[in-house]
Parts: sequence; C-alpha cells; structure tokens
Amino acid sequence: MTGASPLLDVRGIELRFGGVTAINGVSLAVPKGHLQAVIGPNGAGKTSLFNCISAVYRPQVGSILFEGRELVGEKAHKVAGYGIARMFQNLGLFENLTVLENLLVGRHHLYTSSWWQDMIFGARARREEIKHRRRAEEIIDFMQLERYRKLPVGILPYGVRKRVELARALCMEPKLLLLDEPAAGLNQEETELMARYMLDIKEELGITQILIDHDLRFVMDLADSIAVLDFGKKIADGTPSEVSKNPQVIEAYLGAAAAAVAAE
Amino acid sequence: MVMDGTAPIASLDEKTLRATLPGRLAWFAKQRADKPALRHKHLGIWEEITWAQYYERTSAVARALWERGLRSGGHAGILSDNRPEWLFADLAIQALGARSVGVYQTSPAADVQYVLSHSRSTALFCEDQEQVDKLMEIGGGLPELKHIIVFEPRGTRGYADPRLMAFDDFLAEGMKLLEREPGFMQERLAALDPSSASMIVYTSGTTGQPKGAMLCSNNVCEPTDAIAKMLNVTEKDAVLSYLPLCHVAEKIYSVNLPLATGLVVHFGESIDTVQEDLREVSPTVFLGVPRIWEKMHASLLIRMKSSSWLKRTLFFYFVNKGVELERKKRHGKSSPLDALIRAAGDVLVFRALQERLGLRRCRVPGSGAAPIAPELLEWFHGVGVPIYEGFGMTELAGGSHFNRPSMYKLGTVGPSIEGVTQRLAEDGEILLRGKCVFMGYLHNEEATRAMIDEEGWLHTGDIGEIDADGYLKITGRKKEIIITAGGKNLSPERIENALKTSAFIKEAVAIGDKRNFVSALVQIEYDTVGDWAQRQSLPYTSYPDLASKPEVIKLIEEEVERCNALLGRVEQVRKVKILPKELHQDNGELTATQKVRRKVVSERYADLIAGMYRGGAS
Repeated sequence: MTGASPLLDVRGIELRFGGVTAINGVSLAVPKGHLQAVIGPNGAGKTSLFNCISAVYRPQVGSILFEGRELVGEKAHKVAGYGIARMFQNLGLFENLTVLENLLVGRHHLYTSSWWQDMIFGARARREEIKHRRRAEEIIDFMQLERYRKLPVGILPYGVRKRVELARALCMEPKLLLLDEPAAGLNQEETELMARYMLDIKEELGITQILIDHDLRFVMDLADSIAVLDFGKKIADGTPSEVSKNPQVIEAYLGAAAAAVAAE
Repeated sequence: MVMDGTAPIASLDEKTLRATLPGRLAWFAKQRADKPALRHKHLGIWEEITWAQYYERTSAVARALWERGLRSGGHAGILSDNRPEWLFADLAIQALGARSVGVYQTSPAADVQYVLSHSRSTALFCEDQEQVDKLMEIGGGLPELKHIIVFEPRGTRGYADPRLMAFDDFLAEGMKLLEREPGFMQERLAALDPSSASMIVYTSGTTGQPKGAMLCSNNVCEPTDAIAKMLNVTEKDAVLSYLPLCHVAEKIYSVNLPLATGLVVHFGESIDTVQEDLREVSPTVFLGVPRIWEKMHASLLIRMKSSSWLKRTLFFYFVNKGVELERKKRHGKSSPLDALIRAAGDVLVFRALQERLGLRRCRVPGSGAAPIAPELLEWFHGVGVPIYEGFGMTELAGGSHFNRPSMYKLGTVGPSIEGVTQRLAEDGEILLRGKCVFMGYLHNEEATRAMIDEEGWLHTGDIGEIDADGYLKITGRKKEIIITAGGKNLSPERIENALKTSAFIKEAVAIGDKRNFVSALVQIEYDTVGDWAQRQSLPYTSYPDLASKPEVIKLIEEEVERCNALLGRVEQVRKVKILPKELHQDNGELTATQKVRRKVVSERYADLIAGMYRGGAS
C-alpha cells in the first residue's frame, strides 16, 4: 500500500483448534472504500477469518489492525462498536419483530440515552428516537424495503430477509462490512439485485466491504481485488483478472471454471 | 430559497393565466401560495410541497431547459414513475410552449426508442438507473436526444455518457439563473398559445405502433372545469397519484383537476406500496382501472376465506344482502327493513371493508380506461363503494362521459359532460364533438383524418347505444366484434369481463370469429390460484407448473361454467385453455397499459386454439 495505511490490516494470523490448523499465516490488507473478495472451497478458512476479524475467535499468532487499533484480544461487542458490522450466512434476525424494529435493534449500540431516560421518554430520549428512526428510514429507502417496513421478518421470503439482514448491518453505521456469502440461496434475479446493492454501498456510502463467496463469476464482476484461500493458506491476492490468470489458483482449486472465464 | 410567488406574474390577468395549465399553476401559486399542493412520502413521512414551491420548482426546471435550447414547438420526454418531479417537468416543458411526451416506465428499450425518436425529443427526464440503462442500451439510436436529466442518479455515477445530469443539479442551476431574471416566467406565460399543442400522449396501441395524440391547453382546461363542477370537486379533496402519468386518465386526476380546483395530490412511496398508501391518504376522489377493482375484489374474497368462521359468515351474509338490496333499490322497491339491514351491514362489515381498501372517505370512486363487468360494479355498490363508470379516450383528452352520484345508471358510462355532443353513426359507432377532441396525431395526417371527419366529429371506434336520457352504453369495439359462424355479433370484451369476475382468472381472450362456438384462453391469477392450491395441499413450483395441474384446469373449467351464467346463450364459453405462461409486455402480448393484444396472443397460441376446435363443442 502506498500512502495511507489500510483500513484493515491482517498480519500473518494463525488459528488452530487442537491439532487442526484453520488459518495458517494469512495476511490481508484492505484499503478504505475497497470491495475485497475472499474466495476458496469449503473449509478453506474463509468464515474463520471473519470470526477472527469480528473477535469471535482469537488467533494464536499474528495481529489484526483496524484503523491502527489491535483487534486480537478484544471483546466481540467492542469490535462492533469500532464500526465492524457483519451480515451472517445464516440470518440473525428477530423473526417476530418487524423490519423497522429489526433495523432499530441494529442501532442499539449507538443509543446514548440511558435506560432511565428512555423510561421517562423525555426530550433527550425522544430526540434520540427521532434521529435513529430517520436513519433507519434512510436505509429502508436505500435497500428498497418500504413495502415490508411494518411486516414481521418471519413471514418474508428468503431473498427479502437477506436484504433486511444487509440493511440491519448498514444500520450499525459500519466502516467495515463483512458479508458472508450474501448471495447464497438466492435466485438469479435476487443475486443481481444483491450485487447492485453492494456496488451502491461502495459508490454511494463509501463503506469498505469484505465479501466471502465461492461463486467466482459473482465475485469477478464486483470486487476490486480477490484473495484466494486454500487449506488455510492464501495462495493468491490481486485484481480479478490477475487472480483468474494465476496458474496456482487455476490448478489448486478453481480448475475448469476459471479456465473458462480466463478464456473469455 | 422561497421567492415571492406573486411578483413575477403580477401583470398577467386571471383569464390569460387560467387558459393554460402552466398559467393555472402560476395562478394558484398566487392565490394559495402557502397551502399544500402536493404531498409525497419520503423516508416514511408525508412531506408537503406548497403551491408556491410547486411553481418555483417548475419555473426553475423551465429555465434550465430553456438554457439547453428547448423552445416553443420542441419536444421533451418524461420516463418515470409518478412523483412530484414528473409534474415539475411536465408543466415546465409546457410553460416553454414545448410539448411534454410521457413514456411508460414499464416499456422495454425498443418502445422507449420508438416514442422518443418519433417525437424527436431533445431532452428526457429519467427516473433512475433502471431507466437510464434502457438509454444506454439504445446507445447511438437517438441522435436528437441531447440531455438526460436523472431524478435518482444513484448507481449511474460510473456512466461516462455526457448527456447525463442529476436533477438536483439541474434544478439548482435553474434557480440560480432565475434569480438573475425574475421576469422569465412571466414572459413565457404571456407568450403561450392555449390552442397550440402542449402534450403528446402516446396511445397504447392494441393494434400497430403507438400513435402520439397532440393535446393543447384548450383541450383540457374548460372540459376539466366542467368535470370538476359535475363531480363537485373542490380544494378540500385529496387524490392519490398511482396510475401511470403518461396515461391521459391519471393526468385528469393528478394534473388537470388539481389545476382546476386546487385539490391536493399525494404520491406514495413506490408502486409496491399502493395499498398501504391508499389507506393512509384515504382519497376522496379515486380512479381505478377495471384491473384494480378486479384485484381488490379478488384479494378481499381470498382474505375472507381464511378468516374466522364468524367473520366469514357475517361477511358473506351482508355482502350478498348488500348486493340484493342495491338491486331492489335500483328498481325502487326498498322497504324500511332493508334500510335497517343495510345499517347493520354498515356497522358490522362494510365500514371495516372500506377502511381496509382505503376508500372510506371516497365520495367519487370511478372506473375508466377500459370496460368493467357490470356484476363487479353491482358487488362494489352492494358493499358501499359506489363505483361510477365513465368513458374517455386519449383522443378526448381524458373523459367525456361520467356517471355521478346524482345521475347514475348501471351498465352505462353516464351522460356526456358539458360541451360534448354525441350521436351514433349508421353502423352504431359513437361520434363525439366538443372542445376536448384532440388536435390530431403527431407526424401522422392520415391517421388523424381517419379519426376526425370534416365536421369535427371524432370517430371513437366504439359501438354503442344512447338512451332517451342521453346515457351512453358501450357495447364493443368496432374492429374487434366477433361474428360467429352462425352470424351472431358478439363483443369479446363482454365475454372476457364476465370471465374476469372470477377471482382465479386474471386475463382472458375470447375467440369465436367464424367459429361454431365461443372459446377462451385464460391466464390464471397466480396469487389466488396459488393460495387455492396450498389449501388443497397441491404442491407447485411456478406459474407454468401450476397452470398445467389437472386440478387447476378443473377449477378453471368450473369457474368458467359459473361465469357463463352471466352471459347469453351464444356468448357462453364452451371450451377453455389455460395459457402456459404469463402474458408480458416485453414480448408484445400486453400494451403499456397492460391491455391484452388479442391478435398477438391468438397468433402465438394458434395451436392451443386449433386444439379446442378440433373435437367440436363439448
């Protein structure tokens, strides 16, 4: 990286569970505003990497710097407070709450009024409520969720729930968004829509995103750069065209699919 | 940045101003400056735009268009869903003496290209990335289009096309220019000629390419005043703008009537939230096309089927009773007991139902743009939503006939409005004359001559009857009459509408020309049939799958049998086939207003039709 230091700097982390090494000396630098993809087959260590960044797991070796601040050893809720939000592969929404309520819950850590102020619901609490409701509405507008605003999440179709999940992550005002297979289980149309939102998040909101996926085509059109993991090791890192031409990548895991893309 | 709304138009008198639509806007900006003109829902909250702001923004858009060379006689398009900016752009274009051209936002790129190139539009207001992408697809196909102003530029930042510009910047530029020339609008308004074309409204064209009907302020101003008087519309009324604004029917409600009376126009959040927006706005004046009423009817029935026993029983008892009482009332046979039952129904069922539909406050619910089944009208009258059917055409700048609370006959489209005279040609075609008759088709003299004769009569192409009180009844389209092998003249619309009274049938195409009996192709209503299938524990994956289930075929055959009771013997549908896929605008089966192109459909499914006639009538 030339000039400014990257927003997220993962340096040589290793994560072991007993005798199993999930991540073996992976480094990754993500500049501000970038859309970084991490791909690899099942068990390559992609989700483990996310778990390390969001402080769910603690790597035994290495460091993770976010805006120059060390994340290894931090508590998970602190990390959320620093501005790292995560969209889960298996949705983490409250099914009985409405879309709007779910989004407001996503903003909970941003509330500054205390519980007794909220109970009295004085001027301060009211100001807070209006401020957060407004921001939640902006996200609803951004994610085009108007028609679902007042419906409980549990009755919504899967594709829409995924959108709500992303909206909830956005509501946390993140500086870094971790997206774990955002297109998994979506049909063609919904996948295109999801890709559109990710580009809009980058262009309109300027939020840095790290995206895990195993669909190479989905990632190729979207990401600024791609890191490839295999058996816990990073085997390639670069722009989509560089990565797709990397012989090690083609051989190690991408095989025929990448050969086809490279040939196009 | 609020300017003095009165100063720039101080020297123009009321008569001059009220002769054109942009002039009327200026007039209201003076009369009702701080009163609300428009409301739109933004971030979940209804926000107001006053008449002064409405005028100010329209003026700024006009000034910025002027800067880009739009002049009297020029053309500029609008390709967007309904929103306040649509109206600013429309009236700004007209204020320059140019013509506004509405383009359906559902149109595929090729249709967009046709309308813009046929009208030779030099500027286009475009809603968002989805619409801009159509223009990128057209690429160099529109050499005359120089400026594309985008309401929501999100996602288009990376586009290199130099014609693109964000609406906000465009508006700001106009405001700045206006500050230096406060007299700009006054000059423009004074120069307007109310008898020169100011709008091009493209007809949907169930046959052939769309044609651009030229309308001028004279076509709409006085006729709208007559409509307002007749329907008793005032500044206290509220409408929801939700049908496409490029259609002349929505223009009456969102532009012409507000500029005649000062009523408030509401814009909902999106096309997906119409139901909820309706409930929140609760409009006092409302126009639905038959499709909307059919859908409301179907969704209510489906909802009721899955509600509790008590609710369901009450609902069906009072609804049936309501329809029956309405029929008695029409024949003048109401008794005091009837009134009592009606009152009970009001309290127990109808009020809640009207609130659910968002029509509790609605004084004049209307239906137009296409014929509606009389049975559906009866049903709605029965539940206390008295839909008044009207008649209009693009070539009539909107509506020429209206039923109304004081003058109403079921099955007719009502008497003509003030200033319109009617008569029937020898073959029964309805001929109309009056101020609202359009000026002609743009760049198409021949088509114009076929529509308007030397004496100024508009040949509507509809066949009808006029009764002793002057009420008009439409019986069919002149060109689309079915003549059976037995020599009977039938109207396909009547048959199709009867089928569409079924909650399970969305579209129908009646066939029978030169045939021994009438048959029909139908498209099932995916939601309601899907709901039915779920109740029957019938698994399905998609429309084609559902449409081919033997159980569904049986259901539809039974429904058709039931609907046949509404038809005369020769009209009855003897055979029916379900279309294997949904009709779509992109492959030409539907027009932009979602009307079925019978010819295209019957050609495409010729083998299905042939199959029905192979074995003879069942």
